[in-house]
Amino acid sequence: MRRSYITIIEELIRFVLSVFFLSVLVFTLSRVAPGDPLYAYYGDRVEKMGTLEQEAARERLGLHEPIPVQYVRWVKNAAHGDFGISYQYKRDVKEVIAGRLGNTLLLGGLGFVIIFVLALLLGLFCAWREEKRADKIVCGIGTLTSCIPEFWLSLLLILVFSVWLKWLPSSGAYSMGAEGSLADRGRHLLLPLTVVVLGHLWYYAYLVRNRLLEETRADYVLLARMKGLSGKQVLYRHCLRNALPSYLSMMAIAFPHILGGTYVAETVFSYPGIGTLAYESARYQDYNLLMLVSLMTGILVIFGNMIAEILNERIDPRIYLKTEAQQRR
Amino acid sequence: MDVLTVKDLSVSFYRESGEIEAVKHVSFSLRPGEILVIMGDTGCGKSVLCKSIVKLLPDIAKIKTGQILFQGKEITGYSEKEMQKLRGASFSMIFQNPMTALNPCMSVGAQIAEAVRLRSPELSRRERWDRVIELLELVGIDRAKERAGQYPFHFSGGMAQRCVIAIALAADPAVLFADEPTTSLDEGMQEQILALLLELREKLGMAVILITHNPKVAARVADRAALMRDGELYRIGDTEEIFEEIIYNNY
Amino acid sequence: MQRKFPRFSLLLLAMILAGCLACECMMTKDPVYMDLANSNAAPSRAFLFGTDAMGRDIFSMIWYGGRISLLIGFLATLISTVAAVLVGSISGYAPSWADGMIMRTTDIVLSIPSLLLTVFLQAAIGGEGVYRLAVVIGLTSWMSMAKVVRTEVLQLKNTDYVLAARCLGGGFFHILRRHLAPNFAASILFMVVMNVRNAIVAESTLSFMGIGLPVGVISWGSMLSLSENALLSRSWWMILIPGAFLVTTLLCLTNLGNYMRKSINKRHSNL
Repeated sequence: MRRSYITIIEELIRFVLSVFFLSVLVFTLSRVAPGDPLYAYYGDRVEKMGTLEQEAARERLGLHEPIPVQYVRWVKNAAHGDFGISYQYKRDVKEVIAGRLGNTLLLGGLGFVIIFVLALLLGLFCAWREEKRADKIVCGIGTLTSCIPEFWLSLLLILVFSVWLKWLPSSGAYSMGAEGSLADRGRHLLLPLTVVVLGHLWYYAYLVRNRLLEETRADYVLLARMKGLSGKQVLYRHCLRNALPSYLSMMAIAFPHILGGTYVAETVFSYPGIGTLAYESARYQDYNLLMLVSLMTGILVIFGNMIAEILNERIDPRIYLKTEAQQRR
Repeated sequence: MDVLTVKDLSVSFYRESGEIEAVKHVSFSLRPGEILVIMGDTGCGKSVLCKSIVKLLPDIAKIKTGQILFQGKEITGYSEKEMQKLRGASFSMIFQNPMTALNPCMSVGAQIAEAVRLRSPELSRRERWDRVIELLELVGIDRAKERAGQYPFHFSGGMAQRCVIAIALAADPAVLFADEPTTSLDEGMQEQILALLLELREKLGMAVILITHNPKVAARVADRAALMRDGELYRIGDTEEIFEEIIYNNY
Repeated sequence: MQRKFPRFSLLLLAMILAGCLACECMMTKDPVYMDLANSNAAPSRAFLFGTDAMGRDIFSMIWYGGRISLLIGFLATLISTVAAVLVGSISGYAPSWADGMIMRTTDIVLSIPSLLLTVFLQAAIGGEGVYRLAVVIGLTSWMSMAKVVRTEVLQLKNTDYVLAARCLGGGFFHILRRHLAPNFAASILFMVVMNVRNAIVAESTLSFMGIGLPVGVISWGSMLSLSENALLSRSWWMILIPGAFLVTTLLCLTNLGNYMRKSINKRHSNL
């Protein structure tokens, strides 16, 4: 019991340190990069300003101080929940993000759930039909989908379903005047969701397949079949069970990547989400917005890795033994 | 009547490089309650012979010719479904390395319980667990109640092999296949496991086919012995005769 | 599980590669010439694959632009491989506190969304162009390979022959070149091929989003960056044809990479 407290504290310290370094890194990188945040705030009017006016504007935004001073001030404000205003939207960054967070959570979250389930099912199916025709066909199609860049898939889908067939809308999250309609949301979500799912699905399905195939070669499969279980039962009750811990930890790492990896789909489909926001803020030096967005995704990634590690250590009795032995040593 | 009869059995592996004959025209029979030891060098086809009788060969291996009779009934053409019933109820197998033969992620008790349930689905959960404990005690595991909840890695090699035997016994088999059951164990353990096999044979009356490359093991337990070389079973007979022959040929 | 040699993929890849390298012979028109009178023309005998919104001949652009896309793919992979081998082997070879630090840093870099990292790096390196983009892509894609190299080096570090070489006074780079690299080469070969693929994807995606190559520099990615207009004018050939070339190349590379992947297990399924 005591040992698990210590590991939790250790993990927490590591988490805080990681977040600290991440924030320093993003803060420094964004400010060292050339480009003028004044453009984000004032747009083209900057060119008409005199040097004195520009200096004054910089001072107002707190951009004249050295980077460490700026960083300390940012941390102080952030501790109070004040992350500053977005230069581009001229609103509190929290508001800007909150307005879009739902859309990304819907797209990425739904995408993740679908990938999670489908990858497992496809992996199981392929492992069950190993090297048979069905497996070969699924593997072939899967490899093909993994080779289609997301942006091109988006274009293809728009061309077919929006331009030629006119079945589905090509952009946005909802139609004007139909904000509350669930069916309308669904119609707008369908194409970007397809892109998000197909962009990641095969990578994970193939991993599940190969992991399961490794399991089917173990001796315990023979013993289980000698008990009178059918091949399918062995696959579900024994192989899947043994592969599940590593799949869960893999998906813990995958979650932030799928959630944060929606920006291509968001951009092509003009879907108002965090992805496009992150991209804009990095391009136009919208410092405060950039900091919060990258911290959010970064924390999610670090958190996902942590969960994966914990899952790995706790669920799989084999690994549990290993860590136990290490601690004894 | 013989419990198991194999007539003219040939098994081939079909690879891209061509056909490999692993078992060639093997015939033998097994009497109820006897221990038949099949001896031969590694790779001579002993294991394939066993696995082909219970039909657990990989996809690329096929039975080419021959007949397998179990208690006088031909089972060569049995479907996978029928074989499953037979495996759960009449055949059992133990393996060379007990640590890999047990599922590392399942408690030992649960693995035995699974076999018990397949054999006697009518038992309640309670009765099933009692049977698990009974089996563990039968194979000589102390503190069976406590040990049943543990995972394979908690067991030493010899203890794990006892658990595998417990799983095999759950089916109450007529024939037990033991594929090099002592090879991965150290000498003291080997003797214990062999003694256990003999004792169980006395108690339960099952027939045993034991595969080994170790003459010492054969001498310890065999009622009859068979010799295999290059997929052929070229000699079968009483243990003493076979051993005399081996010694005669070697010196 | 014996894998078949991907003869067809290799052949196709060789053909595309040859066509791009010898683009001068393949091109029927000047790829940069803007024939404004014939802009947005559908495929015809004069313009085999049609023309784009600026009147450039797509057939010629594909070979001409493919050269740039492939160049970026290979160059970026070279950079990322060198970086991965250096970081991975130093980390694996170093004492465990340094190893921990390097790997933590790698993890933190990995936790920055790759798009943001790309934008930062681009801004930091400055300027526009093919080589700069290759460097940016290379510097954002070495992390996972470095982890594999590190794991391999950790395993190799204490083998007898590496210890022997160290006792004889072999320097780090000597040991890396003579003893470590030959051993982990096999396990990263697959990743190297996949990195070529990923670099080509990155180039096209970045160019498409307007932060890679400008429209003036022809590559498969920059050709596709005009697709938004093509959608409006329903000029399918501007989207489908360069994309088909891109996907075919990526598919061939993937098949090649999968063939080089270390086989998981030679045994047969017990199922």
